[in-house]
Amino acid sequence: MKLDDIRQNIDLIDSKILKLINDRMEQGLLAKKFKEKIEDPQREEKVMETVRNNANTLIESKFSEELYKTILKFSKELQARDLVITGFQGEHGAYSEEAVRCYNKDYVTIPCTTFNEVFEGVNSGIYDYGIVPVENTLGGMVGPVNELLINTELNIVGAIDMPIHHCLLMVPGTDHRDIREVYSHSQALAQCRRFLSRNKLTPVPYFDTAGAANMLAEKQPRGAACIAGKLSAELYNLEILKENIEDLNSNRTRFLLLSRHEPKEEGSKCTITFSTEHKAGTLFSVLELFASNGINLTRIESIPNEPGDYSFFLDFDGSVKDTTVVETLEKAEQQTSGFKVLGCYNEKIIEG
Amino acid sequence: MSKLKLVELTDRGIRTRIKVGDITLGEDFVVIAGPCGVESEKQTLETAEAVKAGGGMMFRGGAFKPRTSPYDFQGLGLEGLRILEKAKLNTGLPIVTEVIDPRDVSWVCEFADILQIGARNMQNYSLLKEVGKAERPVLLKRGMYSTLKEWLNCAEYILAEGNLNVILCERGIRTFETYTRNTLDLSMIPAIKELTHLPIVIDPSHGTGKLSLIEKMSLAAVAAGADGLLLEVHVNPCEAKSDADQQLNPGQFAALMQKILKLNHFMQDKAFKSSITGGDIQ
Repeated sequence: MKLDDIRQNIDLIDSKILKLINDRMEQGLLAKKFKEKIEDPQREEKVMETVRNNANTLIESKFSEELYKTILKFSKELQARDLVITGFQGEHGAYSEEAVRCYNKDYVTIPCTTFNEVFEGVNSGIYDYGIVPVENTLGGMVGPVNELLINTELNIVGAIDMPIHHCLLMVPGTDHRDIREVYSHSQALAQCRRFLSRNKLTPVPYFDTAGAANMLAEKQPRGAACIAGKLSAELYNLEILKENIEDLNSNRTRFLLLSRHEPKEEGSKCTITFSTEHKAGTLFSVLELFASNGINLTRIESIPNEPGDYSFFLDFDGSVKDTTVVETLEKAEQQTSGFKVLGCYNEKIIEG
Repeated sequence: MSKLKLVELTDRGIRTRIKVGDITLGEDFVVIAGPCGVESEKQTLETAEAVKAGGGMMFRGGAFKPRTSPYDFQGLGLEGLRILEKAKLNTGLPIVTEVIDPRDVSWVCEFADILQIGARNMQNYSLLKEVGKAERPVLLKRGMYSTLKEWLNCAEYILAEGNLNVILCERGIRTFETYTRNTLDLSMIPAIKELTHLPIVIDPSHGTGKLSLIEKMSLAAVAAGADGLLLEVHVNPCEAKSDADQQLNPGQFAALMQKILKLNHFMQDKAFKSSITGGDIQ
């Protein structure tokens, strides 16, 4: 063991401590949603008691109590601020989180295990917003999200279309020649297939890109690297071996921002969903309404409900305040079942 | 040279052209310049800007350095490659860098536009086979103790693996002369041209090892019909960790570039070309 090794361990521990403090602050913000007042002396005393009981030779209680007083004080300060909380699926460092940052860097991001949790969290008012990916240029539509969208009461209040640049990440100091296996989400692995095969690397599917980065940093498996975004490299203290390793540079994902409320500003893009009767030409006649009124469709997607029965998604350019759009939608509603305007919003497009 | 099936110039006289970025090697005269080694981000990025400003067409720099002594600076490795990538992003100049280990070939390909095989590795056959499978052109330097025939056989190794994009580089050979670091063998330019279809570039920096001789030998190479030059340029040569005595500073490089381009322009002039062709000594 050398000083350099010890310092590397210290850096790793520091990044974990900060990450855990961040997680604790997040939980505090969520707890606030259930409390009437931020201040809760009983609960605070209980926390301090646990801290005192965990004292040992190194961590004397006079140190840990001071530390926790500071933590609790700051947590309460955060709760007193009117922070906007956005739920996303994945772990910290996920592309969905990058999307939130691109949308508004002041939004606080809270990780969720499933897409369903994102929808539920916004519905119940724990999160102000939720962000979900709907489609990717290489991978196609994100099926589970579209299914949730059909049945939700939430509004789409914004969209963001951004480039996805994958990086190959490794534990700092790893010899690149030792790398054999690469962990990542199956879609990210598929998007870097040629890069992996050129360098004779074996793809290993993992549930999440940022989750793979977290695992790599925590467990440090031998001969392993992962594919994730730049944000993950920062958060998990990993070294970027190579940036932009995706096979095509047109790798983009479109995300939707969901809320219980309608957007404050007028939108320029709309999303609707509906089903049609099982008769010849029913979908065509709905589409014809848009065509004859000169409304540009930007996306059409079909989701199977039961065998032979489909729901459709339609995105188009226009505002629900525009009279032509209003008329078209009224007619479309008469011809379809389960008709719903999911939202009229503005889309942010990130170049690069 | 009967066993040279792939590198030999055929009766049809078709010469190899290698497109790298906006440059077609074997057609456009190319100057590849940069420091001997990638020492730091600052030194590399500043030198790259100087090379671009001076008129260089490609940027070179070693991330993996084969050194005479194991205790000398061995290069920054992968970090060096990332710095070179940044230099390319800043200047747009394609990157030429040396690969010394067969295990590194695929990784170096991810960062570089041309793979360089150094003089010390010219006959490293496992390395030659590996770059022969790569999808990047290879600049093959002549070994310091190698005959022309040995050199061309090494090029044959690369072509035989399927990589047809080989550029030969004369960088001086070891003779009994001690005034110069090596003896720059410019006779290789016409010899390569009459025997093979491959482009040849000249490295007067290693070829002489002396700053004062580089300009004249560069111009002699242009006059002899070389397809390009490989020049060592360092933003601050006195501080270089290797080859400190033979690296040009940005001002010297820019001044030399002017002369090189002028002479090359003159050599390419149609009237001049036709006035000297037909008069060759047979």
